[in-house]
Amino acid sequence: MDINMNTDILDVRRTYESLRKSNTHLVQSSEIATACVCQNLFKLDYPYGAITSDKDYLIANTVHDIMSLCMGGPVIENWQNSPNDCEDLTRKIVDESCEIVNGIIEDTLDNAFKESRFVPDDFKDRVNETYNGLIAGITRRLMKKYEKPLRVITEVTISNIKNHHEGRIDALLEYHNGYGLLDWKSYDLSKTVSGREKWQLIANSLLANYRYCLNENDWSKYRFSCIIHYTGAYFPRIETIEKEVEKIRINRKFAHDVLCGMRVNAQRPNFCPVCDKGLEGSKECQFYQRDARLFHEGMLPAQYDKLTRQFFAKRYAILKERAETHLHKHVFSILIDRYGEEEAIRRLEKTGIICRKFTYDFDDGEKVILSGADNDIPLEPRKIVRIIGIEKDKPLLSCISEQASVMEVINNKITLSLRSKIAVRRAKRQLFDLPIIMLRDELNLTRSMLRPIHTFHKLAADIFIHQGLMMS
Amino acid sequence: MIYLNPDQHRILKWRINSGGIAGVIGPPGCGKTTFGALQAIKLVSEGYANRVLLVALTNSAANEFSRELSIVLGPDASKFMCVRSGYAPGADNSLPIPFSNELDVIKKKQIVICTTQSLKRLSRKSSLVRFDNMIIDEAGIERLEHLLSPFVLGINQLGVQMMKESISYEVNSIIELASTCGVVATVVGDPKQSRPIRSEDYDLSAMEWVLKCAKCDTLYTTYRLPDDLAMLVNEFAGYQGLTSAPEIAGRRLVVDYNTIDKEFRDIINPDKVVTWLDLDGTEEMAGPSSWYNDLEARACVRICQEIKKAAPSKSIMIVTRYAEQRRIVSKYLQQLGLGVRVLTTAGALGTQSDIVIFTIVRNNPERRIGAIGSLQDLNVAISRSKEKLIIVGSLNMMLNAKPRMHNLGMQPKHNFPQRLAQLVSKEKYGEIVEAPPILR
Repeated sequence: MDINMNTDILDVRRTYESLRKSNTHLVQSSEIATACVCQNLFKLDYPYGAITSDKDYLIANTVHDIMSLCMGGPVIENWQNSPNDCEDLTRKIVDESCEIVNGIIEDTLDNAFKESRFVPDDFKDRVNETYNGLIAGITRRLMKKYEKPLRVITEVTISNIKNHHEGRIDALLEYHNGYGLLDWKSYDLSKTVSGREKWQLIANSLLANYRYCLNENDWSKYRFSCIIHYTGAYFPRIETIEKEVEKIRINRKFAHDVLCGMRVNAQRPNFCPVCDKGLEGSKECQFYQRDARLFHEGMLPAQYDKLTRQFFAKRYAILKERAETHLHKHVFSILIDRYGEEEAIRRLEKTGIICRKFTYDFDDGEKVILSGADNDIPLEPRKIVRIIGIEKDKPLLSCISEQASVMEVINNKITLSLRSKIAVRRAKRQLFDLPIIMLRDELNLTRSMLRPIHTFHKLAADIFIHQGLMMS
Repeated sequence: MIYLNPDQHRILKWRINSGGIAGVIGPPGCGKTTFGALQAIKLVSEGYANRVLLVALTNSAANEFSRELSIVLGPDASKFMCVRSGYAPGADNSLPIPFSNELDVIKKKQIVICTTQSLKRLSRKSSLVRFDNMIIDEAGIERLEHLLSPFVLGINQLGVQMMKESISYEVNSIIELASTCGVVATVVGDPKQSRPIRSEDYDLSAMEWVLKCAKCDTLYTTYRLPDDLAMLVNEFAGYQGLTSAPEIAGRRLVVDYNTIDKEFRDIINPDKVVTWLDLDGTEEMAGPSSWYNDLEARACVRICQEIKKAAPSKSIMIVTRYAEQRRIVSKYLQQLGLGVRVLTTAGALGTQSDIVIFTIVRNNPERRIGAIGSLQDLNVAISRSKEKLIIVGSLNMMLNAKPRMHNLGMQPKHNFPQRLAQLVSKEKYGEIVEAPPILR
């Protein structure tokens, strides 16, 4: 091994070591949106772990899967600028999507059966109904306002490391000199009260700006953003966006600081749609607010105080685990800043963090086989990778990508299992035609680990805190 | 008829007659999984518990629990009494125990087997299902926060109520809190075999927390390691009394000696349970924290070829601390199709093989031994073998190893690589063999 090679590897190792000692958290757009609704609500999720919904989003996820394939197929193929007969066009798109929709429903039912998940009796009808509603929203509102895009890409994960921000955008419509951003909601937006969807959309717009302009503050390529929901579409006005962007930034910093374990006081809004309406989570929120107050007043019983410290130590240990799932991306980003993209890839390739020069061979619907340039693929079964399609003039961590796990490596062939059959189809449509690199990645399984700590924290309060203090 | 050795009998009796959370230390090959399965059967069959939860770290370990239960109970009873829950593709369908994640099914069964990771799904339904006893395996590699998912499923609200009324009760840790909230759990593991992945030196594993805050006992009879190896492991890791079960103490490798190439005869020597092949290969960096040693990798593969010639039916495992070394060895083996398993020390936990080849990898002039210098990794590497252990690497490197300072900047108290090298090199428990020219 030559000296240069060792120096390169040492440089990468040092970067890893230094980052392991710092915080590598990324805040998701959905989390920023939660913090925008109420900062206490975000803290209920992180670090308290009080909200882990038992809801099974089977229908919503299935509709998302359908949209991710149909948007680049029947929808774009039948796009009409300001259609005269929206209902007719909706019907046409729905008819042409029939094969995709039925295939995805079958796959979902198959997986749900294997995993013993609960499936409502009217699952198929509700998925079809929601899909029809979303298509109606597109034809009635979106096609009325905007012309056919050059290209549609769906389920795009964008990581803006410098701003500690990450998100998955449902669909991006690309125009000559701009983009439109879409978000699907499988429920009726007019019945929601929190405004969370709007903030998530704007947070995602910042990520899209980063993808298209390399700067989240550059709105020059922004054409529109839109939430397509069950009965129509919502387009935030540019004034609204300008007004809310600052709020997004403040709450992104807040969320990042909280995840990093900093002491930050949560600001309660004048109106909290959860606490003021007594929705799910309000009791927990009040519990932690009371806990904080008693702590500041020095009124927590000694044993409870001791246990609480242990609970928080464990919570932050879990959050550290979460941060580590983003480590490879941070190293990649730092090396890109230091040496430029090509050199960063070269160095990470030497250390086995990145592999490149892969081409799509074939797939069996669930697994994909890629061919490498040589027989030395530094990946092993069960490793998680992010397959990134290199797009011209786009930051690498904002390019089209899919997560996959390595199943088998034989000579120059690597077998990958993507998240689902839909992900394979999507990748074939928008990813595998691009030059591919594979970046090592990790799964984030930490969220549900916080829930038991919350349960024991509440139990401890129940045991050690006097009823009078509990009520105050 | 189930035969229990005196240790198992004592611990089983203790755990049946006591509540709360307690630890059982299981050195290598002491039958932790078997013990867990037997305890679960005893608890439900004799009416000490209505519902028992068996928690394993990995799907393969959960399948081992299922297998033990199926053997002891028989197919019909295990099908009737047990259910495997969690991640469906990870469950072994060849076993008679059915798989389900449905709460209604789980509630009807007396023994539920699940992995820690999948348990999070079940723990969301903690208000709907409760286990009055649980056995948690391999807690040495878990952190305390990972144990809380099963613990949530053991909370007894009546216990909580009683706790509220006895204000004088002293509770200083989460373990004690869970114990006094009615959680009854036997936490099984061995802090000398495993540490949580990427944990800081000062972090305690879940097992260490349990040992610190609750009562514990140890199994001392190994059913895997023959006498020489058991003594080596006992002295190396300081188990203070680990011995081989009488029926396996004298077990030795049986090979067709004449089929082995002369140069390999000393290495594979069946009379010696432990052989150290002193090989001076060069370590190479790989990845953010991994290493490989090509000379050692080739030597391991070559030794495997020879063993397979002389004893085709014997299972062979190659163990290494480093993922990159595993990859390189696997790559060489791929072309030969010898059916040899290659595992890292973390992956080798809970596994065993007739013959184990341990490749040290690290060898540098500065004598920096790095991660392989830990008690846990070395202990796992040397304690997987049923008949023969071959250590491949530089003896000089290990004898003069400088263990990594831990993050608090302090020198570690023990030099484990040195201890291992000394125990073998003084010919107390093994034999040093010079690398033949063909392997150099």
